[in-house]
Amino acid sequence: MTLDAFVAARKDRWAQLEAMLRRSRRGRLRDIPATELERFGLLYREAASDLAIARRDSPHDNVTIYLNDLCARAHPMLYRSRPLRPGDMLHWFVVGIPRAFREHRRYVLLSLGIMVAGVVAGWLAVDLRPDLRTSLVPQSGFDQLARGQVGSLPSAPLLGTVIITNNIKVAAICFLGGFAAGVPTVFFLAANGWMLGTIAAAVHQGGYDVAFWSLIVPHGVLELSILIIAGAAGLCVGDALLRPGLLRRGEAFTRAARGTLGLAAGSASLLVVSGILEAYVSPSNFPDWAKLVIGAAVGAALYGWLLLVGRGRRHPRGVHLDTAAAGPFASPA
Amino acid sequence: MAASTPPLCHDELVGSSHHDVLRVSTSDNIGIGYDIAGLGSRIIAQLLDSLIVGVIAFIVAVGVLAAINPADAQDSLLAGLATAGIVLFVYIGYFTICEIVTGGRTPGKSAGQLLVLDISGAAPTGGQLLLRNVARIVDVLGVGVVVMFWNSQSRRVGDLLAGTVVVRARPTFSLAAVVTPPPVMLRTPDAGPVIDGVDRLGDRELTAIRTFLTRPGLEPPLRARLALDMSSRLLERMQLPATAPERQWAPELFLERLYLQLQGRSPR
Repeated sequence: MTLDAFVAARKDRWAQLEAMLRRSRRGRLRDIPATELERFGLLYREAASDLAIARRDSPHDNVTIYLNDLCARAHPMLYRSRPLRPGDMLHWFVVGIPRAFREHRRYVLLSLGIMVAGVVAGWLAVDLRPDLRTSLVPQSGFDQLARGQVGSLPSAPLLGTVIITNNIKVAAICFLGGFAAGVPTVFFLAANGWMLGTIAAAVHQGGYDVAFWSLIVPHGVLELSILIIAGAAGLCVGDALLRPGLLRRGEAFTRAARGTLGLAAGSASLLVVSGILEAYVSPSNFPDWAKLVIGAAVGAALYGWLLLVGRGRRHPRGVHLDTAAAGPFASPA
Repeated sequence: MAASTPPLCHDELVGSSHHDVLRVSTSDNIGIGYDIAGLGSRIIAQLLDSLIVGVIAFIVAVGVLAAINPADAQDSLLAGLATAGIVLFVYIGYFTICEIVTGGRTPGKSAGQLLVLDISGAAPTGGQLLLRNVARIVDVLGVGVVVMFWNSQSRRVGDLLAGTVVVRARPTFSLAAVVTPPPVMLRTPDAGPVIDGVDRLGDRELTAIRTFLTRPGLEPPLRARLALDMSSRLLERMQLPATAPERQWAPELFLERLYLQLQGRSPR
C-alpha cells in the first residue's frame, strides 16, 4: 500500500479522533459523552498502530509527524493515574498522615532525639554558667511572667497570622533542609531545642516554672511535634541523598521527597491550629491549670491520632492499592 | 520489500525535529515523541504568569493590609510579614490551581502551547502538580534556571521532584495538510520506455522518489548530486546490466520516468 492509499484509507478515523480531542479541550475525557468513550479508546489504538506502520514505512514523512502529534495529544487523556478527589484528600489526611508518621518512626525518633539533645545542652549550659542567665531572659521578662503576661502583644488575629506564617516557614525550612543533605534540618532542630532548654532552665532558676510552662504548653505541644515531624521528613530526604542504597541517588531522593512531603505538608497545616492557640489561649487570662489541661488534651488528641488511626484494614474498598498506601504524592505506577 | 535494504537517503536531518524529544513507550509498545519545551519558551510563559499572578497578589495584599489596618509601627511590621506569607500562598496557589483545573496549563503556558506531563507521558496528578509548584520556593531563587540549563530535558527542581516535564503541545501539521500530498514537480512529459527491473522496487522506493520530487528549494547542484546518488542506488537495486540504456539517462530524467512508471502500475 502506498502512503497515499494508506492516508486515504485512514484519514476519516484520524479526523474523528481529532474532533474528539478538540471537544475535550481541557485535557479531560469528561466532555466526551459516555457512549463515545469506548470509541475514543478504539480510535486512539488505531491511530497508534497507524503511527507504528507510518514510522516503519515512511519514517520521514509528514504523515508520521502528524500521527505522532495526534497520539501525543490523545495519550495523556487515556493514561493518567487516578485523579485526586476531595474524598481522597480527606481520607489521606485522616488516615494517610498517621500511617506515614508510623512508617517514618525511625526518623521521627531521630528528629526528636536531636531536639531533646538541644534542650538538654541548653539546660546544662545555663545550669553550668548561671551568670549567662540574664543574657538570655532579661529581668523584666521574669516580672512579666510572674504577672502572667508576655510583653506588649499586637491584636490576636494579626499575631495569629504572623505566628502561623512564621511557623510554616520554619517547618518548610526543616523539610527543605533535607535537600542539603539534612544539615540545615539538624541545625534548626538543635537550635530550637537549645532555645527552649536555655529559657526553661533560666526560668526554672528564677522560680517561675508554672507561669512559663502555662505560656508554652497550650500551643507548644502541637507546634514542637509538627516541627519534629517536618524535621523527620527533612532527615528522611537527607538520608536518601546520603545513602541511596540500591537506587540511583536521584531516584532515592525523589522517592523520599514524595513519600514525606505529604507528611510534612499535612502536619504543617495543623500549625494553623497551634497558631490560633498561641494567639488566643497562651497569652489569655485563663488560669494556669486550664492552660496546661488544654495543652495536655491537644497533645493526647494529636498522638492518639498519629499512633492509633488507620492501623486496621490497609486497603479500603474502592481505593487503588498503591495510592492508598502512599498518599496522593506517590508517583504514578 | 526487504527490510534489510539500506535507506535511499542518508540525510539525517530530513523530518527530524530541531527540539529535544521525550520518547515515551505506550502500553501497546508504540513510541510517541513529545517535543520538550526549551528554556526560552519556559521563561516567556513564566513571565506572562508572573504578570498575571503579580496583579492578583497585589490586589490580595492591598486587601489584607486594609483588613488588618495596622495601628503602630510594630503592628505594621508584623502586618507586612503576614502579607508576605499570604502573597507566597497566592503565588503557589495560582500555579497549582491553574494547572490542576486545566490539566497542566497555566495561562502563560497556554499562550506558548506548553503542557505539563508526567515523565511517562501520562497526565500528571494533582499531587504532582502541587509538588512541582511548592518547589517554586526553591526554583524562583534562580536555582530553577540553572538546573534547567544543565538538564537535558529542561526540568527544574520542581519537575525533578514531581517527576514531570513540560512539553510543547503544538501540532506541527494539520490533517488537511497531510491528506493533500504536496505537488510533484515533473519536467518529463511521459513515462518513457518501460524500465526493466521496476518490479524489484516497492512502495518505499516510490515514496522516496516522490519525496525527492516534491521537495522545493533545492539548489541545482545539490539536487543533481542527490539525484545521482539516488539513481545509482536504485539502478543497483534494480540489478540492471552495465549495458542497460537506463544508465545513460540523466539522473533526474531517470528518477522522473521511474516515478511515473511506479505510480502508474496497478497497486499491489
